[in-house]
Amino acid sequence: MIKLYDYELSGNCYKARLLLSMLNVDYSSETIEFYPAAQHKSPEFRRINPLGTLPVLTVDDLTLKDSAAILVYLASSFDESKRWYPTQDAARLAQVTEWLAFADSITGSASQVRLAEGFFYQLDAQACRDRAHELFRILDEHLWFAEQQNQQWLVAGDAPTIADIACFPYVILSEEGSINRQDYPAIRRWTDRVKRLSGFIVMPGVFPAGPGLPST
Amino acid sequence: MTLSNAQKQWHPIAASTDLVYRHVFHAQLFGRELAVWRADDGHVNAWENRCLHRGVRLSIGVNDGRELVCQYHGWRYANRTAGCTYIPAHPADAPARTICNNQYPVKEIDGLIWSCKADDPPEFSTPAFRPGVQLVLRALPINAPADIVALQLLSYLPLATTEEQTSSIKTVQHGAYTLCSEVTTDDTTYQLNFFLQPTDSNRTVVRSVLSGLTNNTANNEINLLKTHSQALGLVRESAEQQMQQIDTPAAWEVLIKPVSETLSRMPVGSVKSQSLTRVQVADIQDTATDIKSITLTPLEGQLPTFHSGAHIDVHLPNGMIKQYSLTNGPGQTDRYIIGVKKEPTSEGSSSFIHQSLRTGDVLAISTPRNNFPLRRDAVSTLLIAGGIGITPLLSMAQALNHSSLPFTLHYFIQGESHRAFNDLLRTFKPSLTVHTALDPQQTRSTLQDILKNYQSAHHVYVCGPGPMLDATREIAQQNNWPDEAIHFEYFKNSQQQDNSVPFTVSLARSGLTLQVPSGQSLLEVLRENNIDLPSSCEQGACGTCKVAVTDGTPLHQDVYLNQAEQLRGDCMMTCVSRAKTASLTLDI
Repeated sequence: MIKLYDYELSGNCYKARLLLSMLNVDYSSETIEFYPAAQHKSPEFRRINPLGTLPVLTVDDLTLKDSAAILVYLASSFDESKRWYPTQDAARLAQVTEWLAFADSITGSASQVRLAEGFFYQLDAQACRDRAHELFRILDEHLWFAEQQNQQWLVAGDAPTIADIACFPYVILSEEGSINRQDYPAIRRWTDRVKRLSGFIVMPGVFPAGPGLPST
Repeated sequence: MTLSNAQKQWHPIAASTDLVYRHVFHAQLFGRELAVWRADDGHVNAWENRCLHRGVRLSIGVNDGRELVCQYHGWRYANRTAGCTYIPAHPADAPARTICNNQYPVKEIDGLIWSCKADDPPEFSTPAFRPGVQLVLRALPINAPADIVALQLLSYLPLATTEEQTSSIKTVQHGAYTLCSEVTTDDTTYQLNFFLQPTDSNRTVVRSVLSGLTNNTANNEINLLKTHSQALGLVRESAEQQMQQIDTPAAWEVLIKPVSETLSRMPVGSVKSQSLTRVQVADIQDTATDIKSITLTPLEGQLPTFHSGAHIDVHLPNGMIKQYSLTNGPGQTDRYIIGVKKEPTSEGSSSFIHQSLRTGDVLAISTPRNNFPLRRDAVSTLLIAGGIGITPLLSMAQALNHSSLPFTLHYFIQGESHRAFNDLLRTFKPSLTVHTALDPQQTRSTLQDILKNYQSAHHVYVCGPGPMLDATREIAQQNNWPDEAIHFEYFKNSQQQDNSVPFTVSLARSGLTLQVPSGQSLLEVLRENNIDLPSSCEQGACGTCKVAVTDGTPLHQDVYLNQAEQLRGDCMMTCVSRAKTASLTLDI
């Protein structure tokens, strides 16, 4: 039985929900209120996750306490095509890992500004915003050159990987931290593409895209 | 160059390749934000990045290929005209034609999208590129004013992939926003044009084009792109470093031209009824027995925005004015297509069109009016057409089909040869059912079948000959369809008219009291007294001359209002309806 300890407004929880939906996996969820109750820091929840962070995914006796770990587990367990986590291809697998780390940097910057502006966290919002823009410049350039080579996803190949799922949430939510994406046209087009993936779901602050090119 | 002069120039705002299928690009020029999108017909729109309703950015909206839909409350705006076509909160009403977003000049030339801040841009002069293959580089946004960026670009040096590849570069600045370099490498010489897009007082996008490439160098495209991207990255670094030493200039103020939504609420009498557009007959086709499809194109620019179900008055050279429904799909404003049936009994308009109208003729048409608007919030929509009554329903079916909204279209015709607009009809399969050569009894039982299961939030639209409409309305009512779910449009009013009884009208807004004598219509009396009321069919079928009644009981002689609306007595058609009471008070 798969259980997700979830908070609706969390981008990291959204990563898990997105892949669960795209892989069409049944699961139950329990809401852990992040704000204002801070249930994730409660003694009860710390017994499940001593780090006091969300999301947490439990599968029978296994407890996963990190969004990237959850994505790796879900893709490895439920995606028979092995597209989402390409374990058979060393180069692509390594690139996926690179982008999972990049996603954590986005969480450490863009997501932090959102916490400051939306959840009243005391932190240096401007420094986080500047860092997010640095990362978005790199991401936009990467995606623009990918487009030039007819690639649509973060890791070159025919299909998206969990790298796209890991990077998407805090990019698309960045405007809640006053990080405008006007200067990142290739990022904006990539977010349209992610939104058009089969099984895509929204969360508060994320709008659906209209239909894209009819599939041939 | 002064700022005001620069604002009168064309500047690039995007690359052609930025406007991918069904995407909305977020651009900015001189502080003004633009939502830039390419419709499925290839047309590029550059609009104020602001929904007229609540000011939400349209760049986060949905490009559906023909219309741009705001994310917030779903207002829809048409390709080319930017006119509002649908307001989900008022699904039963056609939005006023005056609700139209601000548009800015836009051109697509040499792989770039260009715009100008001024409404009256100068003639576009194509930049002098070197003959040969062209390549648009990755645009680079820099947080610095254009003059600082230009200064840095003067010492631009593309880093060669190998040491000796770039042997020399010569850069000259032309005006405040353009620079041109000649790059000479060991094997070739090419040109590099920089266009500085002033997004805001302290932000600039460098858009660059390589030209004069030989096929050989073009093969090396990705390396060229990367080389210049890296070099531009260094320009950005220096420019932004320089900005740390000086104060950031204040952002440019942007005035957004107000668009008057309240215009739509003005009393009808104040709207000029005679606003005509000249169009040319571009094509005449026999689309079925006795039915011609007529394509009308504007003499210049675009035709006005319309909504599915709308009709226009066509002023014919023989002096006749006749109403025809538009068959066009949503957002199609480069042409109007109408269907005209040759009526043996008509007073000459349809026979004129069938016999004398020629391609190239110029006609006057009214702006579209819609008294038969399509709701787009129905769970399912039932369209029922009889004969030439298919025309407004073709427009509706295209709108529903394009948005993947569920509908079924039932088309009653006398025989196969009467099936009009067949190419278009084919696109509606499997939602289309054609009923051929049914007698009145068979028609009734088919209608009974079609209408038997009323479900909440289903809507039916019917257009066709009078007896068929009467039957459809009657059967729908018997099957518990509520009045507000039954929408109909008659071609003509075949009811017996009585204009013998005189009455008095008080005009609440104009402060006039007028006598309507026996034998004269209320509309005619209003016109004689310079009350300019829009009208169209003038026989109580189209609904254009509707006015609100605030006192007294009208005697309804129209076929536009449904029974409930007639009983309510709060509005009337001035062309045919009169008074049951000695006097009426109208809200005009």
